[in-house]
Amino acid sequence: MTTKVTLTSSDNENFSVNKEITKRSILIKNMLEDVGKSDTPIPLPNVNSKVLRKVIEWCEYHCMDPLAPTNENTENQKQNTDIEDWDQKFIEVDQETLFKIILATNYLNIKPLLDIGCKTITNMIKGKSPEEIYKTFNIVNNFTPKEEAQIRKENKWAEDQ
Amino acid sequence: LQEIIGVCDNSQLLFVSNLISPKLKIDFLKALPIEISLHILGFIDNPKTLSRAACVSTFWNSLLKDESTWKRLCNRHQFRRRNSSITGGSLMGPPARRLNFSYRDYFKRRYNIESSWAHGGKVKTFYDSSDSGLVTSLQFDDEVIVVGCDNHKIEVFDVNTGARIRTLEGHEGGVWALQFKGGETFDKERLLVSGGCDRDVRVWNLTTGRIRHVLRGHTSTVRCLKMKDKKLAVTGSRDMTLRVWDLERGVLKHVLVGHQASVRCLDIHGDLVVSGSYDSTARVWDMNTGQCLHVLQGHYSQIYAIAFDGDKIVTGSLDSNIRVWSPTTGQCLATLHGHTSLVGQLQMQGSTLVSGGSDGVLRVWDMDSYECMHRLAAHDNSVTCLQFDDKRMISGGNDGRVKLWDIKTGQLIRCFTQPAKTIWRLAFNDTKSVVIMQRMGGQNRDEGKTVMELHDFDSGEMCE
Repeated sequence: MTTKVTLTSSDNENFSVNKEITKRSILIKNMLEDVGKSDTPIPLPNVNSKVLRKVIEWCEYHCMDPLAPTNENTENQKQNTDIEDWDQKFIEVDQETLFKIILATNYLNIKPLLDIGCKTITNMIKGKSPEEIYKTFNIVNNFTPKEEAQIRKENKWAEDQ
Repeated sequence: LQEIIGVCDNSQLLFVSNLISPKLKIDFLKALPIEISLHILGFIDNPKTLSRAACVSTFWNSLLKDESTWKRLCNRHQFRRRNSSITGGSLMGPPARRLNFSYRDYFKRRYNIESSWAHGGKVKTFYDSSDSGLVTSLQFDDEVIVVGCDNHKIEVFDVNTGARIRTLEGHEGGVWALQFKGGETFDKERLLVSGGCDRDVRVWNLTTGRIRHVLRGHTSTVRCLKMKDKKLAVTGSRDMTLRVWDLERGVLKHVLVGHQASVRCLDIHGDLVVSGSYDSTARVWDMNTGQCLHVLQGHYSQIYAIAFDGDKIVTGSLDSNIRVWSPTTGQCLATLHGHTSLVGQLQMQGSTLVSGGSDGVLRVWDMDSYECMHRLAAHDNSVTCLQFDDKRMISGGNDGRVKLWDIKTGQLIRCFTQPAKTIWRLAFNDTKSVVIMQRMGGQNRDEGKTVMELHDFDSGEMCE
């Protein structure tokens, strides 16, 4: 027996999904608990249909994963930036989409997917020189030459070690 | 738009693409809410990545000043206060309590220290003009280095400059053992106890250099001693006895009689004293009553080293074995085989024991399983000194070499000094190391001279 829930994206597209799957989102889970049994669609004004489709796809693939404990202590947890193969493929999107997925999962409160998005950006930064970082993210170096020399000197300590 | 693109040729398309693609890129760290940006930085554990990111833009730079990122990095690199060496205290106390504390600066400092350890710190070398000859004992802390010599003298040096503060004269024979206590923030005054060939035990105020007591009673060389605190000390002698002294009043409390030969080594924990003797036995004593609680029998030959952490007693012997004993029952819990010659050096901390032998080998033992974790063929000749903490180990040998090891992996990190004739003594704490050695003979003016090397890994300068 599966109960369906309807989610409405910002551009008014309705998505009918299994209630089990929506539990991945702490936001929707809490909303459902507050509302109780209801057939009213849940409006998600911060997520457009393209991104919502992506997020649902991820939730469906991961529906068998154990739900993360709510009071997890991330401070001492050994973190690394490895991403599983399926997730890696899933997150290979243009920067605009990646940006929106991160904002959406932050809003929907889906921690594992948020982490995947953040790790993806971390991996884009890792091992790159400032010049390479400018290119990757289209950043304009806004230091004055004097500032830049000073900042580079300050941060020299971690190099060549 | 589609129509325009449709009529473009390849070079025009490429032009458009180069024009457009940067516009599709996003400065994520700036565009995202700040808590997410910090979350992203939280996945980075390489400081090089972080310091490079700080050079990107003013916004990235300000983001990288956030303390939580560096705090997490400190935790990840286990740059927390740790109980380091026996000799020195922790030089870098608990960070959180200090005003204007910056995790970023703290991380940077610790990272630089670790790097200096691995690649070499600032080294100062001091020659002793009045050639001190054989050096028997060494202890240092945040302020002073104390060296006991065979030439009857005790030298006190400034740990930062290496300058001699004073010479303690009074012993009429070679000094063979010394220890000092005090020098902490709440207890500034240092008290030193020394003993040697003249059979006297001397108690000094290290701060003023004045002698406080001369404790007489031993009838032969004092070979080893340990202070319980500034009130009580235990000495072991070639006269086959140990003596417990009241350091405040300067009187003998107990004579521990029972050994049938010279007492070579001792250790204390709580109210218990353990002693190792050339009579091949070790003994457990109560220092309050002077009673012998256990005689530990099993070694076939003289005992040269002993370590005691309250839970287990470990002895090293000329029979090339190490034995582990229970202080409560006196039973032998294990015999650790492996060394092929005299075991003269032992240090135990947590569940790790390190032994050094005249076979030139260092062995790292796990004290829960009694297994030998690492066998390090460290020196061509006897291991003369060793010390380890939870990260590293330094060993010195009669081959004149000093080697730095990773205690966890057993890997050699590097050789520490220029080869010398022999290494007398060494000691280290979190940021400094002192090595006393005899220089190599040769045409050099300094041939055969005793020198002290002071290695500083927290000089604030980058090593080249």
